[in-house]
Amino acid sequence: MTAALELRGLCKTYPIRERGGLLPRYRDLPVVRDVNLVVARNSIVGLVGESGSGKTTTGMMALRLTEPSAGRILVSGHDITDLSPQALKPYRAKMQVVFQDSYSALDPMFTLAQIVAEPLHIHGIGSASEQTQTALDWLERVGLHRSYGQRYPHELSGGQRQRVAIARALILRPDVLIADEPTSALDVSVKAQIINLLRDLQEEMGLSILFISHDLSVVRSLTDKVAVMFNGRIVEEAPTEGIFAAAQHPYTRSLLDAIPVLNPRDRRARIFRSREELEADIPRISAATTGLARNATPALVPHAPGHQFEAIVE
Amino acid sequence: MIGFILRRLMSIGVTFIIVSMIIFLMMHAIPGGPFDGGDMPMPPAVRATLMERYGLDQPLYMQYFKYMAGVVRLDFGIPFQSPGETVLELLGRAWVPSLVLGGLGVLIGTPLGILLGIAAALRRNTWVDYLASAVATLGLTIPVFVTSMLLILVFAVWLNWFPSSGWGSPDRWVLPIIAYATIPMATYARYTRSAMLDTLNKPFVTVLRAKGLSETRIIYQHVLRNSAIPMVTVFLPMFIGTATGSIFVEAMFRVPGLGAYFVSSIRTRDYPLEMALMLMLTVMFCLAYLISDILYAWLNPRMKHGGRKQ
Ligand SMILES: Nc1ncnc2c1ncn2[C@@H]1O[C@H](COP(=O)(O)OP(=O)(O)O)[C@@H](O)[C@H]1O
Ligand SMILES: [Mg+2]
Repeated sequence: MTAALELRGLCKTYPIRERGGLLPRYRDLPVVRDVNLVVARNSIVGLVGESGSGKTTTGMMALRLTEPSAGRILVSGHDITDLSPQALKPYRAKMQVVFQDSYSALDPMFTLAQIVAEPLHIHGIGSASEQTQTALDWLERVGLHRSYGQRYPHELSGGQRQRVAIARALILRPDVLIADEPTSALDVSVKAQIINLLRDLQEEMGLSILFISHDLSVVRSLTDKVAVMFNGRIVEEAPTEGIFAAAQHPYTRSLLDAIPVLNPRDRRARIFRSREELEADIPRISAATTGLARNATPALVPHAPGHQFEAIVE
Repeated sequence: MIGFILRRLMSIGVTFIIVSMIIFLMMHAIPGGPFDGGDMPMPPAVRATLMERYGLDQPLYMQYFKYMAGVVRLDFGIPFQSPGETVLELLGRAWVPSLVLGGLGVLIGTPLGILLGIAAALRRNTWVDYLASAVATLGLTIPVFVTSMLLILVFAVWLNWFPSSGWGSPDRWVLPIIAYATIPMATYARYTRSAMLDTLNKPFVTVLRAKGLSETRIIYQHVLRNSAIPMVTVFLPMFIGTATGSIFVEAMFRVPGLGAYFVSSIRTRDYPLEMALMLMLTVMFCLAYLISDILYAWLNPRMKHGGRKQ
């Protein structure tokens, strides 16, 4: 079965203006480097990494909202990398997004019913009254009363707005949802509600979700698979339990150390390490004992079924 | 909302009284009086008679109360410089050129500025944007009397396309209207550009793109609507400011409008006319801001439904 979403060798570089000099000189700064990621049908994949590691850029490229510098994007096996805006439109209906900042993600001039119904309107599905009815149904489905349809975004709490954003994203029954830190701006209790809502909807609709977060603990209860991103690269990828039980890459371990624990005795000795230190600390494994082919530059090497991490094999 | 309007009307009343006192005091603080003569000195006896006739021999507070008592009955007195009519009649006459030229200037300059701003925002960092920014910056930094002078020099003196000054036939209106239009055009070009860029960078626009809404529709259905609120609310005060006559434009083009009377009433110590002009301006600006605030609340769902927030 083809994957719902597949990223192949995705790269993004931004031109950065060099300081000094009379004439402007630009240098290419890579922010996403050779990202390969498969989101299987009916599954939730976590993309985790510190802020600035390139997660949002990866998500925006997958949505074709940022043009990749290299690599391919496949939706249900179809390569959408080079499609024109018109040719892309049907695929737009298949892929939706929810952002962290729920307030600015909703047009303040429109009522919630209008906001949630708009995707139907854009894709010309149903009459105006059917669109409104479907929108109100969806408000109910994400846990808001139908009467909320007449309200405006500023009248809601952050959690309620995020529900509206989810309803708007799912009303077209997409195959893939890209959720970019959807809970990062919310209180702990609200955070759990939104996670539960996403999980329920995922099960009901057979949705595939790419769940982006800087916090490994949020991902644990939700995802089937986790990809850890560091400095624009995926440095470890494993089934969720594999990450929590047997993290191999030092960066993954430092992310695990950052998770707050209640019982002080469970707390590991936290070592905060700089990016440079982590970058220098690339795992080295022996070709002789593992039977892997040697590689001098860091590359993803298999560790367990579905589990790989970046290492040098020598 | 009604309460808000009533409160604002009351504060406008207070503003009006305070402003009237300040203006009255300042007006009389300027040395000299209306019947000092200048070129043709008057015999002291005649002067005394005139002063008595117009009540200028009475104490200042009495003059003030008398004038304000008239204002309540919409009687603004007789202008010293044109005793054949009332101040109200004179104003009614002087309004016309100012309203026509200034009003047309704003009505032409505003849409041009909005279009320029939209073009600049959509073609950010291209020559369109730079041109629009240059026009906007020049429009706001070059004083309007310099613009007027340039217009007269180029279109009246060199090209001889339009008469350089006067009022009457519509061909005389063209140059002052252009002079007036530069300011709203420049203001709106800047305003529109920044308001649009502001909105274009909001995540909801990104979401709309992700949903497959075309860029044109995003602009017309969402971005302009969001950017329109601040643009609507600056319109009225600007309209009033321009339509009450720019002293400089009216002086450059010799238009007998309100702006011209502002200058002459101060120069000749024409107290009743000066007072009436200033009071009229005060009331109009207060009302313009009030209406703008009401419009703002009415257009903006965040204000309209503020009470039901939970
Ligand atoms: N338009 C851009 N121009 C230049 N650099 C950018 C741009 N967008 C993002 N970046 C840089 O790319 C890096 C990754 O950003 P992002 O994908 O937002 O990371 P994350 O979502 O993981 O926090 C950051 O260092 C950011 O500064
Ligand atoms: Mg991000």
